[in-house]
Amino acid sequence: MPTVIACFKWVIDEAYIRRGPSGDLDFSSVDYKIGEYDRNAIEEAVRLKEASGAKAIAVTVGMPEAAKGVKDALSRGIDEAYFIADSSFGNLDSSQTALILTEVIRSRIEHYDVILCGEGSSDLYAQQVGPRLAEQLGIPCISFVQKLSLAKDQLVAERRVDEGIEVITAPLPALVTVLPDINVPRIPGVKDTLMAGKKPTAKIIKDDLPPLSEPLVRTISLTSSRMERSCERFGTDAAEIARFVGSLRKKGVIG
Amino acid sequence: MDFKFTEEQELIRKNVREFCLKNVEPIAAEIDENSRHPAELFQKLSDGGWMGIPIPQEYGGAGADFLTSIIVVEELSRSCASTGFTISTHAGIVCTMILLFGTEEQKKNYLTPMAEGRHLGAFALTEPGAGTDVMAVTTAAVLDGSDYVINGTKTFTSNGPTAGTYLVFAWTDKSAGRKGMSTFIVPREAPGFRVGEHFKKMGLRSSQTSELIFKDCRVSKNNLLGKEGAGLPMAMAGFDGGRIGIAAQCVGILQAALDESIRYSKERIQFGSPIARNQAIAWMIADMATDLSAARFLAYHAAWLKDQKLPFSKEAAMAKLYASEAAMRHTVKAVQIHGGYGYCKGAKVERLMRDAKITEIYEGTSEAMRMVISGTVLR
Repeated sequence: MPTVIACFKWVIDEAYIRRGPSGDLDFSSVDYKIGEYDRNAIEEAVRLKEASGAKAIAVTVGMPEAAKGVKDALSRGIDEAYFIADSSFGNLDSSQTALILTEVIRSRIEHYDVILCGEGSSDLYAQQVGPRLAEQLGIPCISFVQKLSLAKDQLVAERRVDEGIEVITAPLPALVTVLPDINVPRIPGVKDTLMAGKKPTAKIIKDDLPPLSEPLVRTISLTSSRMERSCERFGTDAAEIARFVGSLRKKGVIG
Repeated sequence: MDFKFTEEQELIRKNVREFCLKNVEPIAAEIDENSRHPAELFQKLSDGGWMGIPIPQEYGGAGADFLTSIIVVEELSRSCASTGFTISTHAGIVCTMILLFGTEEQKKNYLTPMAEGRHLGAFALTEPGAGTDVMAVTTAAVLDGSDYVINGTKTFTSNGPTAGTYLVFAWTDKSAGRKGMSTFIVPREAPGFRVGEHFKKMGLRSSQTSELIFKDCRVSKNNLLGKEGAGLPMAMAGFDGGRIGIAAQCVGILQAALDESIRYSKERIQFGSPIARNQAIAWMIADMATDLSAARFLAYHAAWLKDQKLPFSKEAAMAKLYASEAAMRHTVKAVQIHGGYGYCKGAKVERLMRDAKITEIYEGTSEAMRMVISGTVLR
């Protein structure tokens, strides 16, 4: 029976972030969610499970509040979860997260065939955790995957690349980072959510891990992006179009 | 005091919201316009296990508490009040009554298929001459061998045309007064039963409403719910839970009115700035948000009392009275904020205003709610 691991991050739901008066970001009333692409990774793990009778495991590193995210993942059809939690894990950088995941997968999960990650997280979208994790585990990494299937001892993946679509195979175990096109994540029913808390979850605390590495990225400040509007209105007749072009020229948008 | 939802309740709210944005919101205007029962939507609701939320899993439900079911009704109603109401009547009243008063056999034969979402349930008490005055019911049932024979006409029955199972109230002994009415489980295929006229309504148009006609309608005596003569207290128990559902429906309508009003008033520019900057508009929105919170807490509190198995009749009536009147008041304001655009088809607030009106009428009018509340506090 194959084993599929889906890694996910419990992130701030961007719909709740407000912009303060001076362009600062207001996180005072935010809610959290499983990162968008990570939901695709979870869904793909569950699809592989349903197609091949695999066992689907979810792994996440985060603050203790991410316990709700673990239930969310389990309600989506995941069989069991590893939850690595500490109140200091709110601002880990990608290299630290990847090292923690490597340690836990290596030491706790005896056998696995595929590790699925979202192409990037919903909050930082650094696209680092998947490739770093594959490198540290010494397994192939296949990124930008929009279609995936398992065959005997190998996986077949469709990658969306600039030039078109690339179909490749890779020996197992392998790590795959998925694009949102790979599937449509299911919406868990009430019963799925109520049963999630009854599935096995292994909680791992900071003391169970080797000392944390130093972060490679330092966040100096965060500010909101701003879209300036000049609120000019143009008509569709020739004179108005000329005025429109003139206005774009004046602003230096076109030469 | 603890105002926190469980993690499961929070996740369920998020999931139902996502379900609504994907499956309900896109069709809500069309099913209203065409007075259409969206069978395809109810199939999806069944597939997701949303049809029997407060019913135990052994009877085909999800096994959640009543508060969770109220959260779902609220979120469904935020997108489509008809859909929220249909689920509320089906699960919150019909399924719940069979769960509370039914025999094991009745639960297996009638509750389980309904909780699994295989068909809808309907509650049939109101008659042409008997609304708030339930004693004026004329439908009667007579025992004939091993069957009851029911004769009479019910009206304004929600889910009437679409249901598969009906809870029908009829006199078995008129001379016994309040102890003379009984409740029958009538399957749609019962001989002598037919669905009468369908009503065209001002609002809540995709919820199907009709007359039900019983002409020598025969049901087995095994279809008597509870004991003979226990119908009225049963109906009142059904109403108590149902009223919390209506309050939740109103909270959903109010939330939608607030969402639409905030969005529009920030976008609509008059005299060079968004109308939300005008105090006249800002205060309407402040009042709307305040009444929404009040209605929400009344509804959740009544649901919480029910889950704790504490008395909740008065609180359910208060929640229904306050939430329905707030929904009516503020959907009118929401249309006002939208101006001419709000009066035209295609504006969500126009539908919300029409949908809100019925909440002051059905499952006990506002006047009946005041009778229930005053009767309790003046006792």
